[in-house]
Amino acid sequence: MFYKGAYKTPGGKLVGVRFTQRDGLLSEVEVHGDFFLYPEDVLQTITAALEGAPADLEDVALTNRIAEAIPDGTEWLGASPDALATAVRRALEGGPIDG
Amino acid sequence: MAERDTLDRWRQYDWQLIAAEPTEPHMNLALDEVLTLQVGQGLRPPTLRIWGWSRRCIVLGRFQSVRNEVDEANAAKHEVQLIRRISGGGAMFIEPEGAITWSIYAPEEMVKGMSFADSYAFFDGWAVDALRELGVDAWYEPLNDITSSGGKIGGAAQARRGGAVLHHTTMAYQMNIPLMLEVLRIGQEKLSDKGIKSAEKRVGPLRQQTELPRDVIIEKMVDFFRDRYGLESGVLGSEDIAEAEALVRDRFGTRDWVYFLP
Repeated sequence: MFYKGAYKTPGGKLVGVRFTQRDGLLSEVEVHGDFFLYPEDVLQTITAALEGAPADLEDVALTNRIAEAIPDGTEWLGASPDALATAVRRALEGGPIDG
Repeated sequence: MAERDTLDRWRQYDWQLIAAEPTEPHMNLALDEVLTLQVGQGLRPPTLRIWGWSRRCIVLGRFQSVRNEVDEANAAKHEVQLIRRISGGGAMFIEPEGAITWSIYAPEEMVKGMSFADSYAFFDGWAVDALRELGVDAWYEPLNDITSSGGKIGGAAQARRGGAVLHHTTMAYQMNIPLMLEVLRIGQEKLSDKGIKSAEKRVGPLRQQTELPRDVIIEKMVDFFRDRYGLESGVLGSEDIAEAEALVRDRFGTRDWVYFLP
């Protein structure tokens, strides 16, 4: 059972997310998309920020949790913490998928 | 940006050209990394490389997930190799004679004071102008597209390594849209005639827009670059090739890299 969702920023790029849930927390998170990110390994930091996040966290709190994890000097073009939080919410709203 | 400033930024360097040779998909990616690092270290002047493609492939962006972008069964059936580049952006389906791809390797100081987003338009500007000279009504569409009144033409992506910028752009010359829709998952649910027609409307491959052979377009683009910024012949030596081959073995050709996001 997993969850997946995506969000395309208007005039920007797509950010997608896939995860499972364990005890109400996001687990085995994958973040992907056709955005640009410098430096590239900040992707692991962003993914780690979602790992263990409570599934019932409000959008704003989730956005902040992602934003706070991103180091100064990072360039994320075409997507944003807000866009990723929206993808997570959509994944949860979509419900679990078999597989 | 003022035109004068743009010209000065380009003309401060002695540019070199590495001309197209048919190259294995993984090697194209590895050469990009080798040449970027060499330019960053001052071992090689800023360089324009025209890519040669030896076979069909799908090039995934650095952060894309294989299962989201690719129909692997169909890709295998049609002998489409799957590769992942170091730059972000979207997946491309490439056939050797169907695309025109080029890279620019430049010191990061060339785009000093410019936002990352602006640097995309900056490095593609000459190509847009070259296409206009070929009679294509082309323009730049932020963040990273070259488009035209006849449809979308291409897209750019960048990576930065060791003080250098890698900017590479792929432009559609001739598209095999039915096969593209089979191997890429973009709107695969639309695999009806209507889907194919709507995809055909959105893109404006250069063959259709110029009625010129692919080699002639490349030659005219290179001439345009040479006239505007200066361009001498550069060399890919056996050591450069060996370095790229080592990168293919250790990274680009490995399952860990290609399936970095499964």
